Amino acid sequence: MSAYLLPWDRLEELVGRLLKAAEVIAPRRLESGDVFYGAIASPAEVAWDYRSAVEPLKRFLLPQREPILRFSTNGKLQVEPIYDEKDRVFLGVRSCDVSGVGVLDAMFGGDIEDPYYMARRRRATFIALTCQEPDEHCFCVCGDGGPFLKKGYDQQWTALGEGMLVEVGSEKGQALADSHSDLLSQAEPSHIGERLRLAKEAETRFGDFHSYIAAAMRKLSMAEVPEEVWEKGADHCVECGGCTFLCPTCSCFTVTDRREGDVVLRERHWDACMYSCYSREASGHNPRATRAQRVRGRFFHKLSLQWAQRNGRHGCVGCGRCVATCEAWGHMAAVSEAIRRGWESE
Amino acid sequence: MSNPYLPDITTIKRVKPETYDTTTFTLQFDEPKAREQFRYRPGQFVEVSVFGAGEAPFCIASSSHGRDDFDITVRKLGRVTQALHQLDAGAQVGVRGPLGNWFPFEEVGGKHVLFVVGGLGLAPLRPQIQDVYRQRDKFASVTVLYGARTPEDLIYRDELEQWQHLEGMKCLLTVDVATDGWTGNVGVVGSLLPNVKWDVSQGVAFVCGPPIMINFVVRDLVGMGFAEDAIISTLERHMRCGIGKCNHCIHGDKYICLDGPVFTCLQMKAMMELEP
Repeated sequence: MSAYLLPWDRLEELVGRLLKAAEVIAPRRLESGDVFYGAIASPAEVAWDYRSAVEPLKRFLLPQREPILRFSTNGKLQVEPIYDEKDRVFLGVRSCDVSGVGVLDAMFGGDIEDPYYMARRRRATFIALTCQEPDEHCFCVCGDGGPFLKKGYDQQWTALGEGMLVEVGSEKGQALADSHSDLLSQAEPSHIGERLRLAKEAETRFGDFHSYIAAAMRKLSMAEVPEEVWEKGADHCVECGGCTFLCPTCSCFTVTDRREGDVVLRERHWDACMYSCYSREASGHNPRATRAQRVRGRFFHKLSLQWAQRNGRHGCVGCGRCVATCEAWGHMAAVSEAIRRGWESE
Repeated sequence: MSNPYLPDITTIKRVKPETYDTTTFTLQFDEPKAREQFRYRPGQFVEVSVFGAGEAPFCIASSSHGRDDFDITVRKLGRVTQALHQLDAGAQVGVRGPLGNWFPFEEVGGKHVLFVVGGLGLAPLRPQIQDVYRQRDKFASVTVLYGARTPEDLIYRDELEQWQHLEGMKCLLTVDVATDGWTGNVGVVGSLLPNVKWDVSQGVAFVCGPPIMINFVVRDLVGMGFAEDAIISTLERHMRCGIGKCNHCIHGDKYICLDGPVFTCLQMKAMMELEP
């Protein structure tokens, strides 16, 4: 695929053009200093120098609460679907988050397509921004989520000395480059050389922080994890759900009906497999009644070869958000370490 | 865009109380096209929407043979089932389906077919029993062993009465606790198993009921010599979506809604190994 250079002095012009054509979701720095992805109103709002965003891109494709059907009873029961059909450009988003969207694509695409997710997904364009400096909890090198991407993006941008290197990864990305060709020049071999050097350097900056995903995958898949790991580890979990809600690949949802005047809206909401009510049935029977069962279920789904085969990859991209948010033990790095080594009391 | 979450509208044709808390609803799609497209096999399930209450999964409880409507048999238990029990014939509900896999039929041709059933577990097996009996010349024999907690908990009583007198079917009933007027067997359904006199290596067993009953019956069947892949059951979970998206029904490496709900005992054992 082709590559271009977007000189620094044309960046604002290009973002301005994107804003005219679609909603642009980009990293924005709040007053608190935290960076969140959100819709921008002007090119100046993009926090190009950020390391990671507090939340992944999930909520833009799978909102925390979304109406999916509208029921009405005007003499006869009627039902109609509600779709969100807005064009969105995801600009300057991190590699791990684009990789996370790839996992969601496998979940909501496939033989049975989820029309709500796919309506948004088909209208989305991803312009990834490669990472050159990992954040405190990042481990995308262990999770196959970054710091540079090989696929999954429409365009991948890398900040070079002269400007942004624009790598095209899809037909959609090429069409976008073509329509703004007046701002772009063909990338020179020196630009590609600089990009390769930056990618290599980025991988050396991850320090001592590891997540032993391969070992955890093997033991989980072979049912070789001692019960003790789940039981003792789960004692520490407070069931806040943070790990699941902040995870770019966790997509469990539940469905409820809500009256609004004369109509009933069927809504789906994020759910968390760590919650005790997650799998409880009307009879009271709960196949995952204990927290240890729920932690095991969650990590089996995330990391087993069985599910990796089914979904095309394992379910961790190494964004580090569960590590950053977990009050206790239930995050990927700690659990994969406990699976690898067995439980060791502190 | 096809939408697997979008129900078709059905009308309740009949409401038949089975027990003090369980009712059979006969549903028919309003649109002739939906009626035509609704082709299902015994073991499959539907998601039923009750206006204002929500959606819940139910097995299809009737054979499709000669009918363009179908039954669900529902215990009044949670929000959706309570709302459903408020409805009379003529009311409309939404239906998605058929969903999930089905009981083997052609694959078990020539075998002695045994049904071991507890309580409401007769609902998913009823269409299979009806189909197997109708084509009984394709099987070596047909045996139904059905148990309920009390005589008041037996469902499909008219049909049970018929089944007990049919040529070519052995149907035995039992209750855990007898009440006034019950003159039949008393004991758990497993106590009827000694009535199986044929060579179990030539048999297939369909087992449905409460989890504890399944556990005991499967143990007994294995003890009698049934192969684990000749014992077939159907699992239940709270399946929110029914199409492998919401993840609520995952057990081990399987979606109950997509890979099941019908599994052999051998498959269930493998799932239990991954997720005890």
